[in-house]
Amino acid sequence: MTKDSSGDVRLSGISKTYGAFTAVHPLDLTVPQGSFFALLGASGCGKTTTLRMIAGLEEPSGGTVSLGEQDVTNLPPYKRPVNTVFQSYALFPHLDIFENVAFGLRRRGIKSVKKQVEDMLELVQLGEQARKKPHQLSGGQQQRVAVARALINHPKVLLLDEPLGALDLKLRRQMQLELKRIQTEVGITFVHVTHDQEEAMTMADTVAVMNAGRVEQLGSPADLYENPRTTFVANFLGTSNFIEAEVDTRSGDEIVLRAGGGKLVLPGARCSAPAAVGGKVLVGVRPEKISLTHADEAGGIPEGRNRITGRIADSSFIGVSTQYVVDSPVCPEFEVYAQNIDRDPRLVPGAEVVLHWNPAHTFGLDAAQSLLAGTTGSAGIETVAEEAAR
Amino acid sequence: MTTLTDAPPAAPESAPKERPPRRRGRLTPYWLLLPGLLWLVVFFALPMVYQASTSVQTGSLEEGYQVTWHFATYWDALTDYWPQFLRSIAYAGTATILCLLLGYPLAYLIAFRAGRWRNLILILVIAPFFTSFLIRTLAWKTILADGGPVVGALNSLHVLDVTSWLGVTAGDRVLATPLAVVCGLTYNFLPFMILPLYTSLERIDGRLHEASGDLYARPFTTFRRVTFPLSMPGVVSGTLLTFIPASGDYVNADLLGSTDTRMVGNVIQTQFLRILDYPTAAALSFILMAGILAIVTLYIRKSGTEDLV
Amino acid sequence: MALVRWFKRHLVVIAGLLTLGYLLLPNIVVTVFSFNNPKGRFNYEWQEFSTEAWTDPCGVADMCGSLSLSLRIAAWATVGATVLGTMIAFALVRYRFRARGAVNSLIFLPMAMPEVVMAASLLTLFLNLGAQLGFWTILIAHIMFCLSFVVTAVKARVMSMDPRLEQAAQDLYAGPVQTFLRVTLPIAAPGIAAGALLAFALSFDDFIITNFNAGSTVTFPMFVWGSAQRGTPVQINVIGTAMFIVAVLFVLAGMVIGNRRNRQKA
Repeated sequence: MTKDSSGDVRLSGISKTYGAFTAVHPLDLTVPQGSFFALLGASGCGKTTTLRMIAGLEEPSGGTVSLGEQDVTNLPPYKRPVNTVFQSYALFPHLDIFENVAFGLRRRGIKSVKKQVEDMLELVQLGEQARKKPHQLSGGQQQRVAVARALINHPKVLLLDEPLGALDLKLRRQMQLELKRIQTEVGITFVHVTHDQEEAMTMADTVAVMNAGRVEQLGSPADLYENPRTTFVANFLGTSNFIEAEVDTRSGDEIVLRAGGGKLVLPGARCSAPAAVGGKVLVGVRPEKISLTHADEAGGIPEGRNRITGRIADSSFIGVSTQYVVDSPVCPEFEVYAQNIDRDPRLVPGAEVVLHWNPAHTFGLDAAQSLLAGTTGSAGIETVAEEAAR
Repeated sequence: MTTLTDAPPAAPESAPKERPPRRRGRLTPYWLLLPGLLWLVVFFALPMVYQASTSVQTGSLEEGYQVTWHFATYWDALTDYWPQFLRSIAYAGTATILCLLLGYPLAYLIAFRAGRWRNLILILVIAPFFTSFLIRTLAWKTILADGGPVVGALNSLHVLDVTSWLGVTAGDRVLATPLAVVCGLTYNFLPFMILPLYTSLERIDGRLHEASGDLYARPFTTFRRVTFPLSMPGVVSGTLLTFIPASGDYVNADLLGSTDTRMVGNVIQTQFLRILDYPTAAALSFILMAGILAIVTLYIRKSGTEDLV
Repeated sequence: MALVRWFKRHLVVIAGLLTLGYLLLPNIVVTVFSFNNPKGRFNYEWQEFSTEAWTDPCGVADMCGSLSLSLRIAAWATVGATVLGTMIAFALVRYRFRARGAVNSLIFLPMAMPEVVMAASLLTLFLNLGAQLGFWTILIAHIMFCLSFVVTAVKARVMSMDPRLEQAAQDLYAGPVQTFLRVTLPIAAPGIAAGALLAFALSFDDFIITNFNAGSTVTFPMFVWGSAQRGTPVQINVIGTAMFIVAVLFVLAGMVIGNRRNRQKA
């Protein structure tokens, strides 16, 4: 195993406090060479502070930052082999595109920059725009200049601070793929900060979900989505339904729970809470995993599926799917997304229905946490706190 | 302009504890501030101290002055020169109101109605600055000359009868009367009113007018309820920028007025440069400064806009 | 009826243009009277057309000397006030330090003080120190009262500058000095230029403070003041008119260049 590790980013016990406010709690994190790593969280969760500590723009209150084997904690930003794509790009308004891209090379005393800059501009498809000023370019073009300006220095790590935040939705999709392509091509470590869960999941190999200065969970996008370990992660990545349930029996790999009158089955491996018999567990299930059947045909539902009953409170047709809100005795406002394949005309608000799903799609969480953590309503509290502390 | 009240955001006080700060020059701001602030301390603040001290000295030019804490100088200065003080406040106040009344339409015109003429009009407002203001003030001697077209027109319209009755002109003369002095002051400080007004009017989103109109406000109501309140920062800083220099001015009173229109600035100038009675001049200057500071502070409190000028 | 409606709709425009006329009337008079050929010592009444003053602008004793002195003082005062003011502005915007409020007050007060007060107190200082009044005392005074205006102008520009630009420069291997020279200074340049221009205009046109602290030295405004008592030569109007024209041309040229740049980007 002679894996190159010079592009590893290692954070050991790194933290940042502003007066009484702690922006980042002591944090250990290793980003392996060549990976596309995303720090995901709501604004004010400490993700940008973490990124800026790697760049050297923010001084850690404690802990160390290493790149490969080198401890860079005490190096100023202009001595670190790391480059940043800034939020809203921070292109120098008084320099043209060529000079913006050449800036880093020139500062390192490289004389003949023409060839390199031209090649770089070619890579990001901006060869024609070399002599324009930044304000003459569109948002997407400016974004590519910012990437080119950073990448031309062949940094060991490229840091991206909400790089797509200023772009409209369509352009953002396009740039996501573009960035992914560039990363595969140049093979350097990317650390990407974003508040957009879709962006993080599309691009990154590994995602760290941050909340209030801590990493809540770290894993591959699919792992985070399918097996959230906190309500924050479950709500922040997509939508989740929660049912408060009591552990009835536990046999081998299966946990049987009581909720309302019915029973639900949960695979033991998918329960992150200590599920002692008689204890409480939050049962979670994603809206798209659930099937909806009219109560008159409840008999046709196969055995072995988790099921609960309810009444449709609301339905909205959104093209690819129909989204239902179902009131159930065990959970008010249960969300269900149904593909529009065979639409049952009886499934309208007021209809009595049975909701059922494969037990393998169920996950179990510790019941002692807010059901609303990570939803849009609760986000932003930290932002206010952080701004007050600044 | 400068923001007096921008409280410094809470400094990261308990910053790094584990490691000595590597911060690039914690002293840098002090080095940057030092030369300029030293200049202001030595040539602005210190002179105030000297002036305060001079105002309580007695003696004569020949024998030298001693600090004797002779506060009677203040009392004498006030009893001797209260008409000039009152006149300064009255003239400067009138000129400020006239500047606001004259300047607001022009600032409004530049901000909302000038279209592609906006820059040209702005240049025309600023450009007179580059002709020495003394030359321009002297031009008013020609404009308001006895028997000239302006005075002739005012006379035939019987305006001068009214102003004479009010006591601001004398007979068929405008020159050497309070009216001429106020007219000169208004003229001289008008750009100081127009520019801040324009700056705050220009920031107002034009759609607010449409929104107001959409919500059943007639144009004048829109102005009274939306535009004017939003331009308050400009009104406050404009009136201050006009009133303060006008109250200390002596050029207009000297060139366009007579001995009956002398303002406190004239007295200070004469006491200092001709009569060489330094204690009285210093006391007068101190009273003027204290008066201005009191008025400005009260005004800013009252208008509730503390982050201006 | 239509006329009344038209009048009502354009009331603001009419009032605004009348004010503009009021502002420009003296300049027109100054220009017209620069072609006068007055009979007595004073150039207040129109006599006959003459271009004599324009062909011999320095024909009055001491006037052009005072003009060049004013230009020299204004140039040095601009340099001094711009350097010192820019440093203060950067310190205020870019750093956190103690006594910020006191510093802000010290900057603000000279702008909120009647000139005659500053003039008189500065003269008290110079008299107490036994300083020789003249070029240097004028220059000191001018730098003092121009300083605050430069700080204000530069501060506004630096405050609107994205701090990420400097961070980006640091991220791209520029040390503190390089960052300042290559990024901060060029971007702050328009604010510094505006401050310098303001300082030049203020210094060149200052009368009250100069009058107190000049001793027997005569600047151009003081020459004009003196001539108001002794007799006003037509050449004063020539200089006034020429300055007005130069200023307008200067600004127009700036606008044309700016427009051309804007057109390039479109």
